[in-house]
Amino acid sequence: MELWNYLEYAAWGLSALFGLLMLVDWLKTDSTYSEDVLTSSREGELEAMAEEHKVKS
Amino acid sequence: MSDVDITSKTMDGMGPHGTKVGLLRVLGPAHVWALGVGIVLVGEYMGWNFAVGKGGAYAALIACWFAGILYTCVAMIDSEVTSTVASAGGQYTQAKHIIGPLMAFNVGLYLVFAYTMLEAANAITAGYLFSVVATMSGHEAALDQQPFIILVIMFLAWLNYRGVLATLTFNLVITAIAFVAILVLFVSTSGILGGGIMQHAALFEGHEMPYGWIGVLASMHFGLWYYLGIEGTTQAAEEVRSPARALPFGTLAGIMTLLIAATLTWYICTGVLPYEFLGDGVNGSVAPLFDTARLSGSMGLVWLLGFGTLFATLASANGCINDASRAWFAMGRDKYLPGWFGAVHPKYRTPYRSIVFLVPIALIFALKAPLDQVITFSILSGLLGYTFMPLNIIMFRKKWPLNSIKRGYEHPFHPLPAVTLLALCAITFFAVFLGYGTQLVAMIGFYIVVSLWFHFWRYRFVNRGAQFTMPWPKPKGY
Amino acid sequence: MAHYVAPKQGKASQLIDVIVLVVLTLGALFVPLKLGLAGAAKAVETPVTDPTWEALGQTPVQAAQYEALGYTPASAHDLILARFDYSFSVGALVAMVAIIVLYYVLVLRFSDVEYREVISEKFGK
Repeated sequence: MELWNYLEYAAWGLSALFGLLMLVDWLKTDSTYSEDVLTSSREGELEAMAEEHKVKS
Repeated sequence: MSDVDITSKTMDGMGPHGTKVGLLRVLGPAHVWALGVGIVLVGEYMGWNFAVGKGGAYAALIACWFAGILYTCVAMIDSEVTSTVASAGGQYTQAKHIIGPLMAFNVGLYLVFAYTMLEAANAITAGYLFSVVATMSGHEAALDQQPFIILVIMFLAWLNYRGVLATLTFNLVITAIAFVAILVLFVSTSGILGGGIMQHAALFEGHEMPYGWIGVLASMHFGLWYYLGIEGTTQAAEEVRSPARALPFGTLAGIMTLLIAATLTWYICTGVLPYEFLGDGVNGSVAPLFDTARLSGSMGLVWLLGFGTLFATLASANGCINDASRAWFAMGRDKYLPGWFGAVHPKYRTPYRSIVFLVPIALIFALKAPLDQVITFSILSGLLGYTFMPLNIIMFRKKWPLNSIKRGYEHPFHPLPAVTLLALCAITFFAVFLGYGTQLVAMIGFYIVVSLWFHFWRYRFVNRGAQFTMPWPKPKGY
Repeated sequence: MAHYVAPKQGKASQLIDVIVLVVLTLGALFVPLKLGLAGAAKAVETPVTDPTWEALGQTPVQAAQYEALGYTPASAHDLILARFDYSFSVGALVAMVAIIVLYYVLVLRFSDVEYREVISEKFGK
């Protein structure tokens, strides 16, 4: 009976903790690195480097 | 906003060589299997039984197998295209290269919605499970499910945030347990080891086809739920060590696993639970496999299937966060969405902003909308995506015939799978129309509005030639 | 062909775009719900007073399973008798087909226009 009431509080607490962990790390990352580095990912990186193609046309 | 200009001279607008921090390539075929099956297996633990309600037990079996055909086509088509277009974003990137930007934008949104809604549905189910366990353990007052729903989403988002390898290894373990739980339940209740409790004939008596054949059509709607999400394997493309091999292998192994699991689940549940109870996933059987275990009289099975259900919902929500954030990230990276979302975490190498952004969205759906509506929205977005796939493969084969580019996998009998898939999609649209016509129209209305918004406003921020990143020759006919 | 150079999007404009998308999404989900148009509710057409398992159309085997699940005829009444209504009008069906086709035609048409631009910039004329 009592146990589940404590578990409810524990769930609230843990949710807040995980949320906070993400939030803190997010803000820290955004202020440590420049936008240029963070958003430098480009699609097709691997293909451009490693594909061997039989291009016929 | 400062941002790398991919049309700058050093990159000449075409080359994708600007990546300083990209996603990490660490996954193997087993992770792909875990991602695909992990997302879907929860469909066996809950939700598919709405199909029983829609048309009776036989209708659900017919729907199970026809949906199985539909998804086999999906898996084959997807495997071929994705073994060639291996990139985060999956079908979104395929559409961008094969059909065009607006289609790609729509497909990207289908993916994000299908997965975010599914994630919400999983969190709702997990919250319900906690309340059942609380009641079973003697808690008298009704449990407040909210904190548990939020905890599930927060924990999994955090896991995703911290890195893809741990996320999908976690998925592999809990998915395997959930799958084995179904096998154990089958073996111990079907009479193979003696003491079977199956009574199919007696339970079906008088309720074989409660709605006739239109019920069979209607149940196709939830028949998709047995497999919905298997196409998500393609989202891992940018994080797999050898995508051209691992993706087709993981996807096709996944669909085979699911065909077995779906048929066994149908067999076990319809042989024990009366159809009206089984078919009502809200007031009746929310978690049919778990209910079956309860009737088996074995406490061990109850615990096993209880954990199986919980693990299945967690695995699914986990995979959904992974997939939705990859699709959202890929669109941000191309400026289809604000470029801010295209960021990769320098340490964990995950699309962290997309992961965080989608958390409150999932929470709104999980806390504010009823389960069958959430499922319907997920199914509808999925269905729109499956309708796109046959168009996609037909144009892919036309613009780049088999010998013009290297494919990791070529699916057989083209165009038969494409035509079959299209026909089955049409049937499913009709099934959705029978029960949820208004939502269908609202959903399509939404997609029409955002399409116009994209074409006339958003697309101006997208670089034209640079978004075509595959090293392919010029498509035929252009 | 001259390359199209996309303008940089400012922070505020990015934020507005996200808000627009989120509002549209929530609208698509919640407007049908709020207007009470979200269909597929089951209804009991012919209620049975003082229900017994036979009156609810259950054989003894089926009744036994219900009892094992903890139901009585009275508590299972709504669950057993509720039925979907699959009647529909041809007009509504035609309208739905038209909307779906219109949607795909619109998307494919616009996509093709954009795609030709992409290809001609990428591969040259």
